[in-house]
Amino acid sequence: MKILIVDDDRINSTILNRLLARDGHSVVIASDGVAGVEVFHREQPDLVLMDIRMPRMNGYEAAREIKRLAANRFVPIIFLTAVTDEDSLVQCIDAGGDDFLTKPFNRTILQAKIDAMERIRRLHGELRRQKETVERHQGQLQQEMEIGQHLFAKIVSAGNLLDAPCLKRWTSPMSVFNGDLLVAAYNPAGGLHIMLGDFTGHGLSAAVGAMPLAEIFYEMTAQGFSLSELVEAMNAKLIAVMPTRMFCAACLIEVDYRQQSLLVWNGGLPDVLVTDKTGRVVRRLASNRLPLGVVALTREDRKMEILEMKSEHRVFLYSDGLIEAPDSEGVMFGMDRLMSHFGGDVQPDKIFDVILHSLKAFRGDTEQCDDISLLEIDCSRAGEEPPGGMPRRSEKSLPPAPWEMSFAFHAGTLKNVDPLPTVINAVMSIQAPTGHRERLYTILAELLSNALDHGLLGLDTEMKKTPSGFIEYYNQREARLNAMESGFIKLTLVHEPVVNEADGRRIGGAIRIRLQDSGPGFDYTRVQSYLEGNAGHGGRGIALIRSLCSELVYHGAGNQAEVVYQWTYQ
Amino acid sequence: MSGNISVERTEQETTINIKGRFNFEMHSQFRTAYQEDTSKGKKGRKFVIDLSGTEYIDSSALGMLLLLREEAGTNESDIEIVNAKPEIKKILETANFQRLFKIS
Repeated sequence: MKILIVDDDRINSTILNRLLARDGHSVVIASDGVAGVEVFHREQPDLVLMDIRMPRMNGYEAAREIKRLAANRFVPIIFLTAVTDEDSLVQCIDAGGDDFLTKPFNRTILQAKIDAMERIRRLHGELRRQKETVERHQGQLQQEMEIGQHLFAKIVSAGNLLDAPCLKRWTSPMSVFNGDLLVAAYNPAGGLHIMLGDFTGHGLSAAVGAMPLAEIFYEMTAQGFSLSELVEAMNAKLIAVMPTRMFCAACLIEVDYRQQSLLVWNGGLPDVLVTDKTGRVVRRLASNRLPLGVVALTREDRKMEILEMKSEHRVFLYSDGLIEAPDSEGVMFGMDRLMSHFGGDVQPDKIFDVILHSLKAFRGDTEQCDDISLLEIDCSRAGEEPPGGMPRRSEKSLPPAPWEMSFAFHAGTLKNVDPLPTVINAVMSIQAPTGHRERLYTILAELLSNALDHGLLGLDTEMKKTPSGFIEYYNQREARLNAMESGFIKLTLVHEPVVNEADGRRIGGAIRIRLQDSGPGFDYTRVQSYLEGNAGHGGRGIALIRSLCSELVYHGAGNQAEVVYQWTYQ
Repeated sequence: MSGNISVERTEQETTINIKGRFNFEMHSQFRTAYQEDTSKGKKGRKFVIDLSGTEYIDSSALGMLLLLREEAGTNESDIEIVNAKPEIKKILETANFQRLFKIS
């Protein structure tokens, strides 16, 4: 160890020098405070022995200066003193001294004190290195968190439609990352898909799982896949990528304004509540599925609850963080307290705010221990477009060219697969008429569901006119679809460019869509007249097709429909 | 503030008692409790998870149960969850765990 002796008494420093040198220390000597500071600066010793009374600068001042110069490095200073009165000793410590040694010097005590200081010095060095390591890791972590946050924000909120007029939401993440995933997007037919997911755990690990789910949600919704197919794809993805002990409790809802229906799938989230015009809860949709990412799904697991949507309905969706939020005593907010806000004097449109207010008052300053989300769907506004209009996917625009496609879907396929996304994606990849995806989707959706529901399954649209009939319609549809053994739907699309006669430029195209089903057909004259005088639940599809297409004709017994859709090329 | 785990073993059965809060902090305790019965491909052992002293359960705890199920052989596993208080049973049922475990 390198030791600095600062003493104006040459005899003292010589004795010390000899004692220290004998123990293998290297020694540097300064004869007063000013010289002591200089030598310290130059030699960087590991320990300082400091006299108190010296010319030019006394020991207290020199000690202060040396401690200042040493900054983060721990350099023990041992004062050499003849006096042992309390005041002097306090002054030594105040000046930054770590110990003192009384004259005359005893070799054993000197050695012991130096050894003790050496131990402290080593410990100090170790602490400093650890602190530096922690700081370095913290810096790295901070950077990684920032990158993660950026990715998370981009992926999860990409095209998110939580500003849809019918939605009201509140989320309160417990850390930087929200383990509650709340996303919403429109499908090509204008149906609104909403998902609330609650991952095991919180923070980064939960957020990592949210990213693939958000991507699947947006991509498949935009392509027109159904909620069942979204559930299937998300579940498979989580099983493939997540460790066993992580899963995602989730609820998916589709608000279909055109069909006036709500589809709900609840796997592991608390009861979804549906209220009527008085704010009373008229439906509680309890979780009846396993959360996403636990086991492979059966056909039954993919099934949705279907509800007839009324404009007076409000749907409340929330994560368990809401009902499990504790107060200062550790008591949970609870389902009973939540339910007490429904059906009383509170106006239905105020319930959302009253719940939040109640939660805030209940929690007080208690630290949050889970992510909390609350979402309300106001069905009376389900038909309103979001600010800025419906989102459009940017599609590449291909010049109109002639092509033809045909498909045949048989019973075995129709039972398990919705052919619509496949058809629409085939059309978009070969022709991609910009801005027409939604309309084409709507036309094909109506044609295909007419062919399947009425042609093959023989369901009667009239049934959907009453609320009980509405549910019965979907029950029967499910049963008949399961039992279907034969039958087919054939679809042909023929595209021809439309040419400007003056200059021969291709200005657009016409798609002739012909759909044939193996069913017995139906009395389309009756359906048409029914439509003209009635805007009830059923049959509105054909009116819609009529408004979008330039031609609609039925052939045969009504089991062949032909429409022409025209588009212009920009 | 978390819970405490004790284990009883008989010839065919391992009973894991969980007292207090069954949450993410219990992860290593819980794993230690069953691991000697599932390691080296041991199968066919019955596990009883006794929640009579459990006051709280979170989603991480549900995840640990899934992990036990996997390490005990997934569909061949024989795991029974007993004596859960009503509010804890409700959480297990919301997650539909009755499809994966016997809950009684």
